[in-house]
Amino acid sequence: MLVAASFFVFTFVTVSGDPLAALTITPNVSPETVNRIREEKHLDEPVFIRYGYWVKDALTNQFGTKLLSNEPILPDLWRVMKNTLQLVIAAEIIALLLGVAIGVYSALRQYSPFDHAATSFSFLGLAMPLFWIALMLQVVFANVYQKTGHSIFPTASLNSVDPGEGLSFWIDRVHHLVLPIFVLMIVNMAGYSRYMRASMLEVVNSDYVRTARAKGLPERVVTMRHAFRNALIPIVTLSALSWGALLGGAVVTETVFSLDGMGLYFVNALLTNDPYPVMAWLMITATMIIVFNLIADILYGVLDPRVRYD
Amino acid sequence: MRKSSFLLLLGAIMIVASLAVGPAAAKSEQAGTVVFIHDQEPPNLQGPWVGNNLYATSLVLNNIFYGCQIRNSAGDLVPRLCAGKPKLLKKNPLTVRFTYKKTAKWSDGKPVTAADFKATWQVFINPKNNVISRTGFEDIRSVGGGRGKTVTVVFKKLYADWESLVSGGPYPAHIIAGKDMNQMFLNSIPVSSGPWLFDSWQKGVQLNVRRNPNFQAGPKMKLQRLTFRYILDTNARFQALRAGQGDVMEPQPQLQIADFLKDRSFRVSRKIGFAWEHIDIQVGEKGHAALKQRYVRTALIRGMNRNQVAGALYAQIAPGLKTVQSHMFKPFQTQYRQNWAKQSFSQAAVIRLLRANGCTGGPARAAANNNDIYTCPRVGKLSFRFHTTSGNQLRALTFEIIQRQLKSVGIELTPRFQTGGTLFGTTLPSRDWDLLMFTWVGSPSTPITIKDLYACGGDQNYMGYCNRAFSRILNKVSTTLDASQRAKLLNAAEARFMVNDVPSIPMYARPVFVISKRGLRGPVVNPTTEGSPWNISAWSK
Repeated sequence: MLVAASFFVFTFVTVSGDPLAALTITPNVSPETVNRIREEKHLDEPVFIRYGYWVKDALTNQFGTKLLSNEPILPDLWRVMKNTLQLVIAAEIIALLLGVAIGVYSALRQYSPFDHAATSFSFLGLAMPLFWIALMLQVVFANVYQKTGHSIFPTASLNSVDPGEGLSFWIDRVHHLVLPIFVLMIVNMAGYSRYMRASMLEVVNSDYVRTARAKGLPERVVTMRHAFRNALIPIVTLSALSWGALLGGAVVTETVFSLDGMGLYFVNALLTNDPYPVMAWLMITATMIIVFNLIADILYGVLDPRVRYD
Repeated sequence: MRKSSFLLLLGAIMIVASLAVGPAAAKSEQAGTVVFIHDQEPPNLQGPWVGNNLYATSLVLNNIFYGCQIRNSAGDLVPRLCAGKPKLLKKNPLTVRFTYKKTAKWSDGKPVTAADFKATWQVFINPKNNVISRTGFEDIRSVGGGRGKTVTVVFKKLYADWESLVSGGPYPAHIIAGKDMNQMFLNSIPVSSGPWLFDSWQKGVQLNVRRNPNFQAGPKMKLQRLTFRYILDTNARFQALRAGQGDVMEPQPQLQIADFLKDRSFRVSRKIGFAWEHIDIQVGEKGHAALKQRYVRTALIRGMNRNQVAGALYAQIAPGLKTVQSHMFKPFQTQYRQNWAKQSFSQAAVIRLLRANGCTGGPARAAANNNDIYTCPRVGKLSFRFHTTSGNQLRALTFEIIQRQLKSVGIELTPRFQTGGTLFGTTLPSRDWDLLMFTWVGSPSTPITIKDLYACGGDQNYMGYCNRAFSRILNKVSTTLDASQRAKLLNAAEARFMVNDVPSIPMYARPVFVISKRGLRGPVVNPTTEGSPWNISAWSK
């Protein structure tokens, strides 16, 4: 599957444009120069042969170098991966915590004002495009700075010019990631709260919860041990599946906030028609999604003792 | 403590902390540091290498590898590391001489000498090195001067742009000796001959340069440091400047600039640049047969109100911008002549011209709601494919305006918008198009090599245009050493041949902008690749 995906992506990126196009309209760069580079970089070869060069590079040379320069791809990819993981893991954890909490509370107080408000905000969160929320936040906080002189939350980049070291660096990093995390988690949080509410409602009305109550267990124990734990199972599935969407969302968020992450790396590579970094990105992203799905499978067993892996 | 109270307290602490951290961070960025927000990050610091050759890289390197001369904001070469302007000693063989100042030194104390220029020449002509262009360097026969300050360069043949070539910043011979230049200066540069030194690079975020304390060849930087902050998204750049995360930026011509023109806390300086938008007409085999007729090409240019296009596109950010009436020089250059003014907008003249050549089926007079298209003898209907890049609002608007203007006189344009990669990589060289609009990124040296664009068989003449008399003059220009003589030849040839042949329609020269905070003194537009930091020593805040 991964091999087929890699071939198709390589082909699409390769045929979507000429990486030497900009050179064609650069004065003083002759067609001979352009043709020389084309030959040296095998750009005149058929796509499947170029794919072969990429496979060789990927297997023997850690994804090799970028198409036109001598820069190795892997160090750049590690750097942006760390930044993206900081963003998506934080967004996912916060979305999970808030989404689950809101969903449980909504289910326990069904049709209460809180439930109606949570439902409305959830649909709003699901309906709003990520890029629009991000742009609006940028405009709002830039305006706040202009009016007050206080930079409450930075609107771009990963850190300040002088972020310091140690704790100071991390405080600065968190400060810069507040808006991107908020944007990224808002959609997931809305989704989790809806699923959690539905799942919780189904569980609290089930026979075994009624039995637990009949046994005289305190409501807190019934809710947390018997209902909540079982209601979590669909959320685990959803959370595992949402990693793909989360990484997709990171492409938008990182682009809008100009964060040096995998999303922006991917967009830049696409814009330069360089298939090599795009392919490396694809392999890493696909591996990450597979790993997160594996973690979800393991968590099933933890949450539901009936699930066992032989 | 109850859970709800705890959550409230936590929220309050976060808000207070962010309020405290924000201004503190902003304050620490102010002391002696200027933050230059830029839209592109250099892939490495190699300069004009394959895979690099970017303006973003030039911005960093220009003040590290300082040149004998630099281009000022008017585009003229003025001495920097040299005591005076380079001298032309002999025309045959072309021999030039220049002398570095005694104070010209590398930051490690070694003097800048002829050996540095010689080493640079050898880097560029070494076939193992992946440089983007060897133009000029490959025409040098010898570089003399040993380890002295005076450099004598002898060329194999006449090279008109010799002054730009010898004015470039040399590499440090003592650092690069015996090294593989394809692996040098990828991530840092250890020395500098200019006002700033490379300091650090946090890839994907920012690159820092700091004052070169050993710089003596000119005024030192007043600033302690300049940070290039790489924010790739257009909107994010503008918002970051407004949000106090930067001090200066050089935006592309975008509508957001209009907000800064109204904002008193920013200064916007603007100037016409060297890049000019134009529409090339395909007169070769694969183009529409009608375009081989001079009267049709004349009808095209006279049917477009080019001044209205320029005005409509830039009304908010560069009011008063006029069309550029020359392919050779830009309006701010002293050599500029309005050669193309002769081909002025006149819809009545277009209709007269088409009818006089036997074209039928079009309108008798120009009308905004016209749908009748002219058909001309032996060349068919005047319906042309119009290629340009997709995703560019200004180009889309330009197309809409001229499409309407031409349709009202019976000429039809059909859009063929493509990505830059496809348009310039595939379509343009294929010559399978009728009209193609794009920008030539020119420089002060462009007129010398303009034969590549417009002479018969020119390297980048994709139009198939060939006027032998015109070509002879363009070829002569490329070996004419005197700049005023070159300008005279070019203006005369353009007015006499090119304006009448109409192989390409000049639209407008793109304006260049610098936006800076009021508190920052010094930044002004420099439309060359020097960019606004060309006068970095004058910057202060």
